[in-house]
Amino acid sequence: METSDLSRHQMIKGLFAPHTENVAEAAIHRWEQMAAHIILIVGEDGFNSLYARSVHLTQSTFPWLAAGTLSPHTGQRFAELKASLEGQKPAQASEANNLLLLTFTGILATLIGEPLTNRILSSAWGKDASHGTSKETENE
Amino acid sequence: MSKKVTIRSLPSGVPGLDNLLGGGLPEFSFNLIAGTPGSGKTTLAHQIMFSLAKPDYRALFFTVLGEPALKMLRYQQQFQFFDQDKVNNSIRFVNLSAELLEGDFDRVLTRIAAEVQAYAPSLVFVDSFRSVVHSANRGGQSVSDLQRFVQQLGLQMTSWQATTFLIGEYLTPEQESSPIFTVADGILWLAQNVHRNSMVRKMQVVKMRGQAQAPGLHTFRISDAGIQVFPRAIVQPGAATGSETSTGDARVPIGVPGLDEMLGGGLPAGYSLLLVGPSGSGKTILATEFLAEGARRGEPGVIAAFEKSPSQLLNTKLSELVSAGKVGVINTRSLDLSIDETLHDLIEMIKRMRAKRVVIDSLSGFELALAPEFSEDFRGSLYRMVAELTGMGMTILMTSELEDRYTDLRFSPFGSAFLADAIIVQRYVEIAGQFKRAMSVVKVRGSQHSKDIRLFDITDAGIILGETMSGYAGILSGRPTLGPN
Repeated sequence: METSDLSRHQMIKGLFAPHTENVAEAAIHRWEQMAAHIILIVGEDGFNSLYARSVHLTQSTFPWLAAGTLSPHTGQRFAELKASLEGQKPAQASEANNLLLLTFTGILATLIGEPLTNRILSSAWGKDASHGTSKETENE
Repeated sequence: MSKKVTIRSLPSGVPGLDNLLGGGLPEFSFNLIAGTPGSGKTTLAHQIMFSLAKPDYRALFFTVLGEPALKMLRYQQQFQFFDQDKVNNSIRFVNLSAELLEGDFDRVLTRIAAEVQAYAPSLVFVDSFRSVVHSANRGGQSVSDLQRFVQQLGLQMTSWQATTFLIGEYLTPEQESSPIFTVADGILWLAQNVHRNSMVRKMQVVKMRGQAQAPGLHTFRISDAGIQVFPRAIVQPGAATGSETSTGDARVPIGVPGLDEMLGGGLPAGYSLLLVGPSGSGKTILATEFLAEGARRGEPGVIAAFEKSPSQLLNTKLSELVSAGKVGVINTRSLDLSIDETLHDLIEMIKRMRAKRVVIDSLSGFELALAPEFSEDFRGSLYRMVAELTGMGMTILMTSELEDRYTDLRFSPFGSAFLADAIIVQRYVEIAGQFKRAMSVVKVRGSQHSKDIRLFDITDAGIILGETMSGYAGILSGRPTLGPN
């Protein structure tokens, strides 16, 4: 369990570490990729309720995060999150986004297990995410 | 020159189900898995899917409202058959709730078609189909629209060369004059029957085009490993109780000196023997002798022991036989068994041990261990079970507890004496202020046998037959008297 837990953290860390500029844009891009895969499996409502819960939990650390309501229009889904992140300094925005992603994937993992969550995440983020973390997932 | 099309049969991956289906799942068939809530429909679908799906034989699982997909994944993961490595490689889950909210079948159909086209699956599942029907009512679409939709779907999936399963909640098969039932090639019906606080799961293959499915209701069990079906024993043509299947003149010795002579040289092979007697009369001891004699002759045995828990095994002699691997014991999970489940376990064990002798100790305990629902049809089920076992060439010894009656003569509380080929009765008699045991061979179908009533003793060495009570009269009254000689 620990190794797979590590790989989810590493995946998220690896995705955003090099980007210090355009944090919001990069973050939303990843959220869109992930949403597409998860909505396919659990449906829009399923995704929205997970997202709302994650925002609620993350708000205790970053109260400036926009409320967890998502726009039903694909492409505009994370407009509020984007606006919130853009209003912050890159370092702060990046930290908040990482925590939000970890919280979201954490909730998903408690529901359907780490291995299945990692599987979904790596198919959503493709090579970018599996780079450097593939060893851990293979060792499960 | 005409060459008929051969329909490939897919192994379902559910133990026992292929027997029910008459071979397996016909490829490209359009099937319905229906049943009451909680009857195991989604589990059955998942088990079939995980068993069949491979990278070059992919499966597409559509979820529609009903059970939230997250929960389904969460709970189905608990089963051993759920192979995470297959998810996304061979199995893809797709949620259709957005399309369905509009209540428009055409959108659902278009989406399904698009996904099927993109993924090219060999297996397609739609869970739960009932939601589609409900939304039809809500969306104001008529039944004919639904019928068209189902027909379209059936047609499309067959053209796409996909074996399809629709999963739906229905209360009774009769209740629905649903068009889905007409269109489907196969219908699997799952139910949970509750009878006096006990619940029994049952499965029925209502319809399976082009195959001879096993008719009737069959019990199944859901465990960590998933679903296991116990096909109901059906008396096969040619497999009847008694002498037809008995292998000629071969006799199976019981191993009690004197008793084999009384039976006319041992019990004819392939016979079922009913051993009747009151509590403590020595039925289990005699059954042990029967198994021990088999072990001596290299004929392994199997015992279904309902009177004792497997941990505190019967008697030392029997425990020794069991630990030496010469006798197999059927684990009797109590109080919600079905006869078919017991029979299934027995047959597995018989095949594994290449057994020749079977003991059921006792019918009274067996009846008690069954779910109440089956107790009502105990006689009928027992008949099928005995026919099945003797059909396999087994020689069976069944014990039955029966209180001594001194006013009438009975052989079985179940009226099951007719299905035994041979009957031995044990009873207590009072002689000179002592309780003595007496034994007699009442019936051996198609064979000469002794008509004597003989006293016997149970010693450490086993059963010792004593003198013939030829001088006595009124033995069956329990108080025999020495007749005037």
